Amino acid sequence: MILKTKQLSKSFGGLKAINKVDFELPKNEIRGIIGPNGSGKSTFFNLVSGIYDSDPGSYIEFDGHDITFTPPHEIASYGLSRTFQLLRLYQDMTVIDNVMSGYHTRVPYKFFDAVIGRKKIWDQERAIKEEMMELLSFVGLADYAELNASELSGGQRRLLVLARAIAMKPKLLMLDEPAAGLSPVNVDNLMKIIMQLKEKYGLTLIIIEHILKVVMDTCNSVTVFDHGQKIAEGTPAQVKDDNAVIEAYLGKKMDDEEMRKALAV
Amino acid sequence: MEKFKSIIRDYPFIAFIIAFVILAFVPSVIFTDVYQSHLATLIFVNIVVAAGLNIVKGYCGQVTVGHVGLFAVGSYTAGTLFLYLGLGFWATLPIAIIVTAFFGVAMGIPSFRLEGPYLALATLGGGEAIRLFIENGNFFRSTFGISDIPTPSLMGYNFDSPDRYYFISMTIMIIAVYFSFSILRSGVGRAFMSIREDPICAAAAGINVKKYKILAFILSAMFAGAAGAVYAHMPPGYIHPNNYTVIEMVTFLAMVVLGGLGHIWGGIIGAIVITIVYDLTRPLYKYQLLIFGLTIVLTILFMPKGLGGFIDRYFLEKRFKKKTGTEKTT
Repeated sequence: MILKTKQLSKSFGGLKAINKVDFELPKNEIRGIIGPNGSGKSTFFNLVSGIYDSDPGSYIEFDGHDITFTPPHEIASYGLSRTFQLLRLYQDMTVIDNVMSGYHTRVPYKFFDAVIGRKKIWDQERAIKEEMMELLSFVGLADYAELNASELSGGQRRLLVLARAIAMKPKLLMLDEPAAGLSPVNVDNLMKIIMQLKEKYGLTLIIIEHILKVVMDTCNSVTVFDHGQKIAEGTPAQVKDDNAVIEAYLGKKMDDEEMRKALAV
Repeated sequence: MEKFKSIIRDYPFIAFIIAFVILAFVPSVIFTDVYQSHLATLIFVNIVVAAGLNIVKGYCGQVTVGHVGLFAVGSYTAGTLFLYLGLGFWATLPIAIIVTAFFGVAMGIPSFRLEGPYLALATLGGGEAIRLFIENGNFFRSTFGISDIPTPSLMGYNFDSPDRYYFISMTIMIIAVYFSFSILRSGVGRAFMSIREDPICAAAAGINVKKYKILAFILSAMFAGAAGAVYAHMPPGYIHPNNYTVIEMVTFLAMVVLGGLGHIWGGIIGAIVITIVYDLTRPLYKYQLLIFGLTIVLTILFMPKGLGGFIDRYFLEKRFKKKTGTEKTT
């Protein structure tokens, strides 16, 4: 188990955004998370990556570390990387700087060496830059390396965010709607790149996605959230036919008696 | 030429040594009177402050308007150490840097909770508080200012006139710029930039946001402290609280904004331009603040990345065109 939560809860005032979620994720799995808007998927990501503090009584374990109350930068240093739904691109930095800033946890030198500006530093910086350029050409952005990130198109931004999250060589990569707003062709291209990256770096993946085709085709297993609770879990085929899931997405199936009652009122 | 370039790339300090040698010959070759040396020293002091301000404002994105307070701390540490203990430049400079670093921590703590204009207000209060504290304490000789702060001497050679003091300020400037250059070029500079762009995403990428914010404040405070000490010992060695008002802060800000926020040479370009303009417009002293305020506003409106960004853009577009054969329009 690379990620494990027990009784994970988070409330905002009276609203229970996440309510007692037990979640387990084995290594090398691709897990899809689906659910209607406001069902707590992104909150779950924010809790695991440490952006929010979870409520007392919760327990989160990542790769053998108890990370329940660990600040986000430490969680990242254990090898957990994530993307954001709203991208959070570093708009005013060049594309290559964006990706290199994702490398932060792996930077080998100390601050003092950097102040003195020893030769070693510049050699290492160049090695990092070369590695990151390779990554950029892998996702197809090498030509744009020196442009500002704000000058990229929507699809390129998604790729850049992905590359930035990969740069730290994470063990677990959490993608929050990686394909939102992409055209079908671009979605296929993005998923192909994600799968190639998974093979290359041996990643474990969690993907939040609203395009069900993506989830059904690529994920080994799917977890469904509704109203802050986990309502179903299993292989894509199992989840597709689960009554609770259909209810959450489409509404409750009524029999004749109930229908008559509902119409009479 | 290629070989030379690769040497510079590996050992950037060689470029700074070359700059040192060139600048060392400037007074004897170009300057015609002592006043120009004095002006050059002012430029160097401003460069050090602006380079520090560029770290915290341009790179780390923390809007601080209290930097002149830190500059004052540097000056007054040097001044009072001379006044009461009789210490000279070589002792007061390092002490001023350390003391100012502590004040930098204090100035930086609000940045954990505040950002943007709110942080600007908090730091403005901090800077003004420092100035008022100095102004109202007899301890600091507020009414008359501290005068006759001695110039430094090294191995019997006294840098006692502006054209000699030029070498002291130039050396400090070169060292400070070198440090700022190597800090900002390394991963630390990138961490600062990611905090400026998006602190939440930076934290998720493994950057300790609080630590780096405080680091940025400490580093820039140390630059301001060094500049303050150099300013205090500058002949004729006179400091007065009136030299550390918000007006000075506006000129510091104008330097960084005009040079280019977040550009590695931004503060330096800005400091040179603004100091010279400041000197040339002395006859129009009534309108100086108007000029600098307008400079800030117009630069932000029409050249948001400043002169440095403007120059960068030109070369980038040229390279992009060469590489891809297409025009990149934005």
